Amino acid sequence: MKFLNKIDKKYVLTLIICIFVALLCGAFIMLATGFNPIEAYATIIEGAIGKPRLLGNTIEKFMTLCLLGLATAIGAKGGLFNVGGEGQLFFGALASTMVGLTLSSLPAPIVILLAFLTAVVVGGFYAWIPAMLKVKLNVSEIITTIMLNTVAIKVVTYLVNGPWVSSSPAVSKGTDYLPDKLAFTKLIAASNLSTGFIFGAILTFLIWYFMKMTTVGLQMKLTGENPRFARFSGLKSDKIMVGSMVASGAICGFVGMTLVYGYNGQMVDTISSDYYFDGMLVAMIMNYNPIGIVIMSVFFAILNTGANMIDMTMGISSQIYDIIFSVLIFLMAANKGFIEWFNQSQAKKKARAIAKEKAGKEGI
Amino acid sequence: MWEQITALFTVGLFQNTIRNATPVILAALGGLFTEHAGIMNIGMEGMILGGAFVAVVFSFTFASAPMGVLFAVLIGIIIGLFFALFVVKLKSDEFIIGMTLNTFSAGLTVYLLRTVFHQTGSWVSTDIKGLPPIDIPVIKDIPLLGDILSGYSIFVYISWVLVFLVWVFLYRTPYGFWMRASGEHPEALETAGIDPVKMKVLSSVLCGIFCGLSGAHLALGYLNCFAEGMSASRGFIAFACVVFGMANPPKVFGAALLFGFLQALAIRLQSVGIPSDLTEAVPYLATVLMLVYITVRSANKKRNRAKKAMAVQAAEEG
Repeated sequence: MKFLNKIDKKYVLTLIICIFVALLCGAFIMLATGFNPIEAYATIIEGAIGKPRLLGNTIEKFMTLCLLGLATAIGAKGGLFNVGGEGQLFFGALASTMVGLTLSSLPAPIVILLAFLTAVVVGGFYAWIPAMLKVKLNVSEIITTIMLNTVAIKVVTYLVNGPWVSSSPAVSKGTDYLPDKLAFTKLIAASNLSTGFIFGAILTFLIWYFMKMTTVGLQMKLTGENPRFARFSGLKSDKIMVGSMVASGAICGFVGMTLVYGYNGQMVDTISSDYYFDGMLVAMIMNYNPIGIVIMSVFFAILNTGANMIDMTMGISSQIYDIIFSVLIFLMAANKGFIEWFNQSQAKKKARAIAKEKAGKEGI
Repeated sequence: MWEQITALFTVGLFQNTIRNATPVILAALGGLFTEHAGIMNIGMEGMILGGAFVAVVFSFTFASAPMGVLFAVLIGIIIGLFFALFVVKLKSDEFIIGMTLNTFSAGLTVYLLRTVFHQTGSWVSTDIKGLPPIDIPVIKDIPLLGDILSGYSIFVYISWVLVFLVWVFLYRTPYGFWMRASGEHPEALETAGIDPVKMKVLSSVLCGIFCGLSGAHLALGYLNCFAEGMSASRGFIAFACVVFGMANPPKVFGAALLFGFLQALAIRLQSVGIPSDLTEAVPYLATVLMLVYITVRSANKKRNRAKKAMAVQAAEEG
């Protein structure tokens, strides 16, 4: 149980307290708007794990959040903020769908492999652009990735409703449906959970292993913490920064593919609604710690699928999820800042007392 | 071909340019303060959305547009203080707080819209009073110019005046000087006896007020409604304008007008058969390109200056 000893107990404790307070805030908001919070939270839990189908949806959501959170973490550990995961996800999803549709006559495993490679390459490439701009020209990657998100979403919206729109009258919007043989097999019937989960789990493990156990992971960490120091110690920090960003984009592209092949079946312009930003916030709460992201994703996946349930049955808008989510981040940030501020003022007090004492002695 | 191009440039195109640009101008002017105070303010999106929502709620409650604007400003101050509390006092990561503020604002406005006001998507009501259009006495009679420059809500004209006032504030008053110093050399400012923290908080509050005004204009200046996610990346565009205009008020104003123009052009090009989704992507792509251009240019400038200085030094040393 060496592993458990490594966990920062203080951090976990504050996290648990913050989660509790955030849920209380959510409860207060629901109470203020005329709903019964206890009933709502009970419905959230029931709506997330009450039935096999719902549990499947939660697990699928968990995988999405977790992978996107890890994608953010990889970028951030390497020193670059990838805010553009949403765009990379859209392009990855679209590219893999088009590969599936055009090559549908080939055997399924080959097509899926090709689709996977395309999604990863396209997502990675779309992250490579801002990364190169940052490394070569020092253009802020935060702004470029935010802008490139919108560009990607608009272009995809045009493509799936314009040149690549389905000609079949059975399809209301978006591209053609992928042939059945390409769709991932469902692990729980009628849920969103498919064999994509297994791929995702393997990928998650690989990312964790890569970040924590390999030299490249350590080099990434060093570069992210202090690129200058890393450069002076002989690391190719530029390459590492670009590499971590591309890896981040590639993961987003893969997530896009799982959304299409896992349960959506076709590419539409609503394939993701800010999923990446949810994953990014999870990563931020957990300080980009891979294991932390995995654990936190479970919590938010439950909250997310459950929020859909209270929207349907109780009429509480599912946005309560966003509210609780952001309150939690505010609390975590406030807590961290408050402790630092408290320590500082204590130190100041001490210094002042010592100074006074000294002054007193010298005065005599 | 030439006829088609000239057909695009109608009075409506320029009117739409100004309409699209105004919320961005207001927000970007707010972003100028925080930018100068050394805060990367990515949370303007949430500030605008909050302002728009509150403006509509109170315009609806009091059936009066000025009340809506007043409360939008108040919420702007509150959000500004909130932002400053985290970013300045508690020294949290400004990027994280900004992004979270956006999520929080988007979530809370939609939640309240749906559960309290029982509206989904957008909220249109005759009780939401908008700001009346204002005709400028002499200019409105000038044939073409009158149509383009006259007949907007008061905020359009206020935003033009504010460009000048913000410039005066930043470059001609001690407060502006201190604010810029709090971003560039907080230690030097502290030595001079001015608390940089206070200036940073002030910048954040001013940004909140301006974003509140931007939201109020967005909601009450033209359409008189609130829609979910109404700010539609305007906060990010404003942020891009601040960067693009190198944090100089007139240049930022120009950048915002350019954005408004590109957006207006996108709508016009739709009528010629160019899909709006593609044209709408252009301003965002343009921001990336402009950002690259600016960064490279300022880096070159610095390098040239360094080269010159070195040459001078070398000459002095013989």
